[in-house]
Amino acid sequence: MATSLLDSITAGLKTWARVNSPWAIHFNSGSCNGCDIEILATLTPRYDLERFGIKLQGSPRHADVLICTGPVTRQAHDRLLRIYEQMPEPKFVVAVGSCALSGGVFEGLYNVIGGIDQVLPVDAYVPGCPPRPEAIIDGVAKLLASLSNPGPKLSTPASGAPAESAPAAEVAEEVV
Amino acid sequence: MSEIFALLIFPSGLFLLGLGMAYEWVDRKLLARFQNRIGPRWFQPLADNIKLLAKEEVVPDGVNRLLFIGLPVVALAGALTAALYVPAFGLPPAYSFPGDLIVTIYLLSLMTLCIGLAGANTISRFSLIGATRTLTQLFSYEAPFMLTMLGPAIVARTWQIGAINEFAGAGNWLLLTQPIGFIVALIGLMGKLEMPPFDAPEAETEIVAGALTEYSGRGLALFHLGKGVELVVGVTLIGAFYLGGIANPLEFLIKTGALMLFIVGVQALMARMRIEQTVGLWWRYGSLLVLAQLLLLLIWETIV
Repeated sequence: MATSLLDSITAGLKTWARVNSPWAIHFNSGSCNGCDIEILATLTPRYDLERFGIKLQGSPRHADVLICTGPVTRQAHDRLLRIYEQMPEPKFVVAVGSCALSGGVFEGLYNVIGGIDQVLPVDAYVPGCPPRPEAIIDGVAKLLASLSNPGPKLSTPASGAPAESAPAAEVAEEVV
Repeated sequence: MSEIFALLIFPSGLFLLGLGMAYEWVDRKLLARFQNRIGPRWFQPLADNIKLLAKEEVVPDGVNRLLFIGLPVVALAGALTAALYVPAFGLPPAYSFPGDLIVTIYLLSLMTLCIGLAGANTISRFSLIGATRTLTQLFSYEAPFMLTMLGPAIVARTWQIGAINEFAGAGNWLLLTQPIGFIVALIGLMGKLEMPPFDAPEAETEIVAGALTEYSGRGLALFHLGKGVELVVGVTLIGAFYLGGIANPLEFLIKTGALMLFIVGVQALMARMRIEQTVGLWWRYGSLLVLAQLLLLLIWETIV
């Protein structure tokens, strides 16, 4: 009884800390740079993400949230997975922009695998081409809200262990 | 029993960790206000550190495991031990002996040394460059910073921090008689803490996160906490030596607050310096000016 109370208190404390201090890292897996410019605009003093505790980190080892833009190209696929695997648990992925959601206008191209959720488990989707900074903040806020009261996970990653288990060619055919 | 209380809860230990996080918040909030932002909420450093402590710690390939895990602990322990000898929060030092100033200065540089070793321990190239820059910076600011601590000690004719604090509290505002020492000490403290404009060792835009690139979770949290504690110890030392002593909590808050305003002002005002500019600033100007001032002090002390 006493241990379960202690557990619930520490679990609550951990969730509180995670919700209030999401450090982000930004990765461009083949975007046209439109979404990246919007992400940079989100980080400017005008929107001041530091009031929510959001900080852009240089190193994936320090980050909790991976903000991805653009469709996953075959060139960026391995790098994206590598960045994701360098992040310590618990980690979350936010897909920003139409292309990151589904491949967008690049869908079906010979060098494009598809949206981010073809290779990584995505926790929040932010649509738009490009999404406004307000939309990106809203997406991150929704992700944080889902941390404090977890519901069913929305995304269905390509497989539990991404990377080599699902050859890129097959994934691309599934998308088509 | 009272020793354990003094070590673990007050004035060292938990209380000092809290104070360190509070000063980190003051630093970030003031910087945000200077940049016309709203800035972080008051519990932000606490949330950051709890989150980091609860995170997975990745031990990368090619590192010495013992050093990788041990160095953050040593760094934090060094900063916390240094706090025992300074009048933190305006109370007399918890421990004191003749010559504790030297020990405190060495304990304060332990942190930088640990960060340098931590960076050199990993095989990541960003860590290595960060470690090189950290140690280069250590060798440049350490001499002038030590010389600035020497000035008040010579005037007060003691090596004991508590005694220098009392000497300064007896109406001797060394800021007026040793202005160069005061400025160099503050700038040296900023270099010690790798604050902008001296943040070349952890420049995000060039070398990812410097020496701490490979650290995640617990190790990073301990280094963060250690930096907060070192900030408190540093401003306490400078406030006690140069701003007329720190005798009670109110004086502590006012004087360290004024120092924080100055430090954050410089941070907001200046762009990052390249590493050779940093070294040049301290060796060409900082050290020489402080040495000249020290010479004058020595002559004055022998005449009077």
